[in-house]
Amino acid sequence: MSGEPDMTPDETLAMDMALGALPRTERKAAEVRMRSDAGFRAQVEHWQALLSPLAEEIEAVPPPAGVWQAVAAEISPRQGGGAVAPEKRGLWNSLPLWRGLGLGGPALAALALVALNPSVPPPISVAVAEAPPALLSASLAGADGKPLLAATWDPLRGTVVLTPATIRDDAGKDAELWVIEGDKPPRSLGVIAIQAPNAHAISSQAISGLQPGAVLAISIEPIGGSPTGLPTGPVIATGKLSTV
Amino acid sequence: MSGAAELAALLARAADGDELAFRDFYDRTAGKLFGVIVRILPERGEAEDVLQDVYVTIWRKAAEFDPSRASAVTWTATIARNRAIDRLRAKGSRPTSPLEDAGMVADTAPLADTLIDSARGAASVQAALAMLDPRQAAAIRSCYFEGLTYEELAVREGVPVGTLKSWVRRGIIKMRDAMHASAVQ
Repeated sequence: MSGEPDMTPDETLAMDMALGALPRTERKAAEVRMRSDAGFRAQVEHWQALLSPLAEEIEAVPPPAGVWQAVAAEISPRQGGGAVAPEKRGLWNSLPLWRGLGLGGPALAALALVALNPSVPPPISVAVAEAPPALLSASLAGADGKPLLAATWDPLRGTVVLTPATIRDDAGKDAELWVIEGDKPPRSLGVIAIQAPNAHAISSQAISGLQPGAVLAISIEPIGGSPTGLPTGPVIATGKLSTV
Repeated sequence: MSGAAELAALLARAADGDELAFRDFYDRTAGKLFGVIVRILPERGEAEDVLQDVYVTIWRKAAEFDPSRASAVTWTATIARNRAIDRLRAKGSRPTSPLEDAGMVADTAPLADTLIDSARGAASVQAALAMLDPRQAAAIRSCYFEGLTYEELAVREGVPVGTLKSWVRRGIIKMRDAMHASAVQ
């Protein structure tokens, strides 16, 4: 991507993102970065705010009535199953159930450390914060025990190296990585790519103090990641971190 | 109470789980958001899916809305635009149409006044766009309204993509500078 004089590459990228002009891969990468880099997110929001009055020019188009009914069915328990509540009310109270999906069952037995594929590209981020010396690794498996992905956290580089064991096709969806420590609610570590080996940069703040025994999980979410900050879609794999 | 304040109040009630307030919010804003989505995804069924997804997201995230940072319409239109562009990118490229059609700006006639909650911001953006070369302004509008990539727009305009990028980016910088200048006065 060519830059502009007087603009840093990040400013240019943030502007392109806010305008919506990035092709798919670059847009996804920028979205992932917005989740872990508050400064970059602020730049994108700055440009979004600048451009947003343009939307005033757009003519209203009345949607068909069925759309509201579908929305109501999703948000209201009285109008159909699968209701979702605003996150303020803490709908996410089914954590024990969710954790039970992979953790109590045979999936744990399938936990295995997977040797890193030497062809994995070098990690991108070099953020370091009070790095503990050990590498932590987890094999994430589905409820049937089938390994999906190996994740290794490299504290020196501030990245999680992801090595898929199975290729999944979740068209129109994103995979999101979560960490669960003890009884705390899941914390998002961002949207990840699970189609090919890659290094996923994670802010040192998000992951500092991570200990063996913490659980990593992957859920399937709408494009861009969970809209609520907690897993909303099916959890496809879980695995416990252990020292390499 | 102004339209913007009413919408913000409705969102606050929705964040507390008030479905009636959310229904009211939907009724006042859905036409606008559907307009935003349809420009990017002209296929109606697809646009309706995205609209549904957008309102479920608004319901879930209502507590995050901060009226001191953006108006309710701006906040929700940004969500709608992002979701529509995500969907557009997920399905690959789209047929292109001539710029004369695409750049055509909807007539601003009777929008419900509840929706014109940042008329000054809009006027300021339009004044800034009016200063640009008309094709430059049309290119910015095409990217913004239709969710086109630089590559797609460059093909449609028959210019090298690097030229188009500079054109659009410099145009936006000029807009920003003009808007800052007018805000200072």
